[in-house]
Formats: sequence, C-alpha cells, structure tokens
Amino acid sequence: MKKDLFSESERLADITKYLRRTFELWGYREIFLPTIEEFSEQLRKGTKFAYNNGFYVIKPDLTSQILANLKEPRRLKLYYISEVLNGGIKGNWQAGVEFIGGEDVKMQVEVLLTVITSLEALGIEDFYIDVGSLKVWERAIEGIEEFKAEIFRALTRRNFEIIERLPINEEKKEELWQLFNFRGKSCEYEKLNKIIEAVDDERVFIDFGTIRPLPYYSDIIFEVYSPKIGKPLGGGGEYTFKGVSAFGFAFDLNTLSKLFDGRIEKSRKRIGGEPKEAYKLAKELVKLGIPVEVGE
Amino acid sequence: MRFVLPKGRLFKGSLEILRKAGIELKPPENRELIVKNGRYELLLARAFDVPVYVEYGVDVGIAGSDVVEERESDVLVPLELPFGKCRLSLAMPKENAVSVEEMDGFRIATKYPNLAKKFFERRGVEVEVIKLHGSIELAPKIGIADAIVDIVETGNTLRANGLVEVEKIMDVSALLLVNRISQKTKFKEINELVLKIKEVVKDEF
Repeated sequence: MKKDLFSESERLADITKYLRRTFELWGYREIFLPTIEEFSEQLRKGTKFAYNNGFYVIKPDLTSQILANLKEPRRLKLYYISEVLNGGIKGNWQAGVEFIGGEDVKMQVEVLLTVITSLEALGIEDFYIDVGSLKVWERAIEGIEEFKAEIFRALTRRNFEIIERLPINEEKKEELWQLFNFRGKSCEYEKLNKIIEAVDDERVFIDFGTIRPLPYYSDIIFEVYSPKIGKPLGGGGEYTFKGVSAFGFAFDLNTLSKLFDGRIEKSRKRIGGEPKEAYKLAKELVKLGIPVEVGE
Repeated sequence: MRFVLPKGRLFKGSLEILRKAGIELKPPENRELIVKNGRYELLLARAFDVPVYVEYGVDVGIAGSDVVEERESDVLVPLELPFGKCRLSLAMPKENAVSVEEMDGFRIATKYPNLAKKFFERRGVEVEVIKLHGSIELAPKIGIADAIVDIVETGNTLRANGLVEVEKIMDVSALLLVNRISQKTKFKEINELVLKIKEVVKDEF
C-alpha cells in the first residue's frame, strides 16, 4: 500500500488549484490527453506494453505526447497536470505549460514569468531560476565538434576532467572552463540578455553550467530550485516543432509539495453568523476571487 | 556543509582524501551515524545509499561508480578519485563456463540488478535476474543461479569459490558526488573543495 493517498491528494489538490488559476490567468488552456498512446518513436518515457498485437505506452512524457498528437504547428498555449511514468509502475506528478508558435524572446519571458507567478501564488518566494543556453555551448565547441558528446557528458555531470583529457588546446579548455562557471546577469549572448532584462527579477540568473540533458531542447534552457530543498522544483526549455519554435516547462509536484506549507489556506476568509447574510457576503467575495469558508 | 560517506571498503580512503584537502571529519566513536565537526557534518550510510542521499539533498558524498550507475542517481560527479579501483564482472562456475551469447534463460544472481539487466539487454540475451544483498558467490555454488554479476578486486574470492570471470562489465572507481542544488547555492565552497581535492589527487597519486 502506498503512503496515505488521501493526505497526499489533499496537498496536490491545494497546489494544483493555485497552479491552474495562474496558468489560466496567463492564457493557457488545459489539455486532456489519453492515458494510453499507440507506441511511436516520438514518445519519451512512459511504460510500454503489448496488447492485441499492438504496442502501446502508458502515461508518456507530456511534451512528447502533445507533439505526437499535433499534426500541424500552430499557435498554442497549453497546460497539463498529469502523472508521468518512466518504464515502471510508479509515476511522478507534473504540472507544466507549453507555448508553441509564439514570438522569440516574448515566449521565453512569458513562460518564465508564469513560473515566477505560479510559485508566488503558492506562497513560495525563496527560489532561483538559472537560465542557460545550448547555442552558446555549440558556438564554443565550433571546430571541435567531434568531442561534442564528451563535452556534453562533462557538462551534465559537471566533470571538467573529461574535458581536460581531450586533445584540444589549452586556450580552448580555458574558454570552456570560464563558460562552465559563468553565472551573472548579462553575457555576450544578446537573446539571453533580453530575456533576463524583460523578466526583471532578482532571482533569475544566467548560468551556463545549467544543462538539462533532454534530446529535444534547441537553445534556452532553465532550472528552478530552492535553497531549502535538494532537488530541482522543475525546469524547461526551448524546442522546435516542424520548424516552429516553442517553449515549455514542468514542475515536479512531489518536490513542490514539500515546499508548500499550505499557509495560503489560512488566508481563506472565514464567515460566520446568520446564513442569509453570511452567504451573501460569501457570494460577493467568491465573485472577486477570494476564498471563503462559511462557518456553522 | 554536509558529507555522506559509505561505511565499508571506501570509508578510510574517503576520510583520508578529504583530510588532505583540508577537511577534517571525525570518524564516529561508537555507533553514531552523524558526527559534527565545526562547520562540517558527517553522515555514515550504506555504500548503496550514498548516491541517493546526495541526490535528495546532502551536499557532498563519495561512492563507487558501480552504485552510482546502479541507482541511476541524478547527481553531479565532478571528480573521479584514485582509490576503490575494481571492476564489475560476470562470473560463473569454471566447469560449465560459456560465452554471454549462450546464456539465454540463465538465472543471474547479483547486488546490481539494474546493471546486470542492462548488460544482457545490450547483448540481446534474455536472462532472469535475482537480487541478493551479499555473498553472491554462494548462489551458483548451491545451484540457485547459473552465473553472477559482482565486484572483482583481485579475483581471489572468485577462485576460492570455483568461479571464473567471463566478461568485464565496467571499471569501477570511487567518485566525488555533489548535489545539483548545493552546486548552485554553495557554488564557491564546493568549487574550492573540488579544486583542492583535484590538487591532492595530482600531487599524491
């Protein structure tokens, strides 16, 4: 038997309520995806099984599932709250958004602001977002492309020894070392600078050591974390779908729920007294978006 | 800063390399599992659990590459350390040794079910893997498994139990592990530690 499903569910219900509200305020629509998809190379994660001579995947990675269902690219702003499986039977709950076909930079800024306002809506203020770029790395390894796989392995493990062992000149190694440790508010890549300036939040940094090893990311990538917890709260990045650029992110709800202390619930307006008066006031407050609890 | 070190064969080497890098961690005196020493805190864990502790929030750890790969932990691995060298190998009783490709339907006993499954999958051989927690060499001896996947240092234990190494699966070494978030929130401290250990490795080994 799992740990108490009902108390866990209560926490997730609290969190997703605020996430849904924030995502919708930014103009995202919820997407309802089937639990089981026919197997295709495009689908990532999920748990595969065979049934009636066919191959299927249960609860694959949401971004890959959305793209597998989208025949032609068009402007879409979607969000989802779903469990994702990864080869086994135990899943991980995620909440995320996908912005497809938006304008470059604006799209990144809007998604980052969605992340920030979502966390704030949950009462979580103590977090950082590190934004990196794959293009910056690709430019840095121009001329030594044959070592790309090893350099990216070094980046994801943060193991500079792998780079030191490569037969490339010292100057290049020094340049890669500098990038490896770069963290700041502005850099030589204009696109990143524009994003950071427009987001304008002291918790957002440029960090080229931030690498998310997902095959579909094309340039800007980011990771959200809190000094209070040892695992990332979530992250996302830029990808291209049939020539159209897109930007998405996902929160890990289990990690997020460890940070969420539920204190927002305490701001729920408690109303007592005569039912007629109490409910009249409650109705007005609900119309304004204020949570209420009418007492006995 | 919090450290987690494995009890067992890597413990002495881990304490020594950290001491040489200027981090004095007191080994526990009795049966305690957490020891504080000034700014540092030392946690003692089972070798297999070290990467998990680091993944979920302990700043720094030392563990063998075998367990890091087996647990598939999402941790940073800034350095390979010059001790705990050995290999993970496939071994079986001398008298009926066959090649990997001939092992279809075999039962494999191991502490490393993940690595064992992946190894046979890569080779397209279907086997049944059973997980044991120790004395793996016993399994083929009493007939509950046909072969084993286990750590080999000198080969003496294998020989003493009438087993031969059929194939090496991977080289194993101690690794320095860093929590992904600590690397960001304690950036300077951790970078300094990594550089210091790197110096020690260069000078001494």
